Amino acid sequence: MTSRNARTLWLVLAVAVALLWTFLPMYWVVKYAFMTKTEIARFPPMLYPHQPNLASFFNIFGYDYTLSDGTVFKASGQARQIMLGVRNSLIVALVVTIITTLVVVPLSYVFARLHFPFKGKLLAAILLSVSLPPVSTLIPFYTLYVQLGLTGTLTGLIIVTLTITIPIVAWMLIGFFRNLPPVELLARVDGFSRLYTLARIIVPMAKSGILVAAVIAFLFSWNEYVYAQILVTGSNAVTLPAAMSGFLFQVPEPAQLAASLLLSLLPPFCIAFFLQKHIAEMHIA
Amino acid sequence: MADTVRSQTPAPPRTAEISTLSFALVVSVPVLIFLLVVVAYPLAYALYLSFHEIRFFGGYSATWNGIANYSKVLTDQSFWSSLGRSLRFTVVTVILTLAVGLGLALILKHLPGKWRWLRALIILPWAVSPYGAGILFTYLGRGQTGIGTALANWLGSEHTVALISASFVIEYLAVGAAWNMAPLVAFFLLANMLTTPARLYDLAKIDQMSPLETFRHVTLPPLRFTLFVFSCITTVLAMKTFDYIFTATQGGPGSASAVLTYTLYKISFVNLDLGYGAAMSFFLLAVILGATGLLYLLWGRREERQ
Repeated sequence: MTSRNARTLWLVLAVAVALLWTFLPMYWVVKYAFMTKTEIARFPPMLYPHQPNLASFFNIFGYDYTLSDGTVFKASGQARQIMLGVRNSLIVALVVTIITTLVVVPLSYVFARLHFPFKGKLLAAILLSVSLPPVSTLIPFYTLYVQLGLTGTLTGLIIVTLTITIPIVAWMLIGFFRNLPPVELLARVDGFSRLYTLARIIVPMAKSGILVAAVIAFLFSWNEYVYAQILVTGSNAVTLPAAMSGFLFQVPEPAQLAASLLLSLLPPFCIAFFLQKHIAEMHIA
Repeated sequence: MADTVRSQTPAPPRTAEISTLSFALVVSVPVLIFLLVVVAYPLAYALYLSFHEIRFFGGYSATWNGIANYSKVLTDQSFWSSLGRSLRFTVVTVILTLAVGLGLALILKHLPGKWRWLRALIILPWAVSPYGAGILFTYLGRGQTGIGTALANWLGSEHTVALISASFVIEYLAVGAAWNMAPLVAFFLLANMLTTPARLYDLAKIDQMSPLETFRHVTLPPLRFTLFVFSCITTVLAMKTFDYIFTATQGGPGSASAVLTYTLYKISFVNLDLGYGAAMSFFLLAVILGATGLLYLLWGRREERQ
């Protein structure tokens, strides 16, 4: 009995440490969203907002906010960029997620389950594209986009984001498909075509893997910053991360930065929160 | 007439079947063409740049200069020091990510049913973008606003304690990178752990194994392949990291966290020395491929054989 109690105690301690590790870095910055500029600049740093206010949430959407003591917080000059950013980020992420999933599911199934010539070489090409650092592909894309008139457009950003999501999601799904039970031969004995087998037997079996793939594609494109910073900053196609960086670099506004960061975290958090049980089903060994 | 019709229709009413190769082609050719355009074009263009000297002042000009850019990289002190920082960042990040991931997975596995929902909280840092993690860890680590100073003050000291310092900024950034990546590793490891039959743990108990021995001989073996895969993924991601370091420290303090990608960014986008930047980016690519290749030779080959 005592050893069970000791085990429970250890587990509770471990869980507490894990939760602290998980939430402390987020809490430390998210608290700024509820503080005033003077409170943030105070030394020593305040551990929590003493008089929490919602000013920065109003400011980033272009509204003034008056505290109860009469202090007015002016609407942010970047409000338009932030609102455009939210809209564009949603469009890009949804389109990229749909295209990536439609393309990658058949592709990784083929690479995982079928044998055909040049498979090894083609696989190597996919892996190579995973390894390409964005910093070195940026210049070629930028010059190409200037010539094609694709800078500052959502289409251009979607294309470039697909080059990130397709290889990395394919890489993850190939391992997943490899582990599904081999049902193809049975399906063939029953006279099903390959496409039918894929659509009606494999895809339902691989539901959680495909969901995870879609989530990863969504997160990668929602979170993409490097290309967006170079290709669409300041234009009407600006995305949320690129719009937010104005609060970090030009005129530092920690409170508004924290408010928009919190905003940018909401969609990924909801998705991760509700889909985590499917991730726990990804056997890749 | 009736004869020809009969001979043209095959006897069994089976759905049209295509060969493995053509099926594979139908599915993957459009994607491969897309990848070719988006991978081959940037690579070819970067290759072209790397053999030229690109000038913007006094009008754009590209002058062929052979392998001069490449040999300049090898004698460039800032290349070697950036490479050193990249490797240091990568090694620490990979070790921390796997260790924290394994720790989180063990905790999640032992959660009783009532507390399973905690899993949904532990995954959250993975959903934070690299630039977001950079923002979080820059405020957390700065002397003026950071947790170090807050703790020191709480303990009664008046000093500022900066976690972002010239000597340990790389390790600090690696902690942030591990914070970002470890939950995903934990969930994949958890998936593996849940497939280990409970019977094996009963047997380990009968053999009177210590908890450490049980971990080594029962829990760990089925996880080794996943650990290998994630050591590769984390290596590639850590070497490629740019936005995280850009928002966290901008290569500072001084140039203490100017990893190779950051130095590349400065050469290409601040100094606009495109030819030289392109040449250096091929060294980065070679290092990334070399590191994953080495991991495979030293570790992956052994895991696959089992």
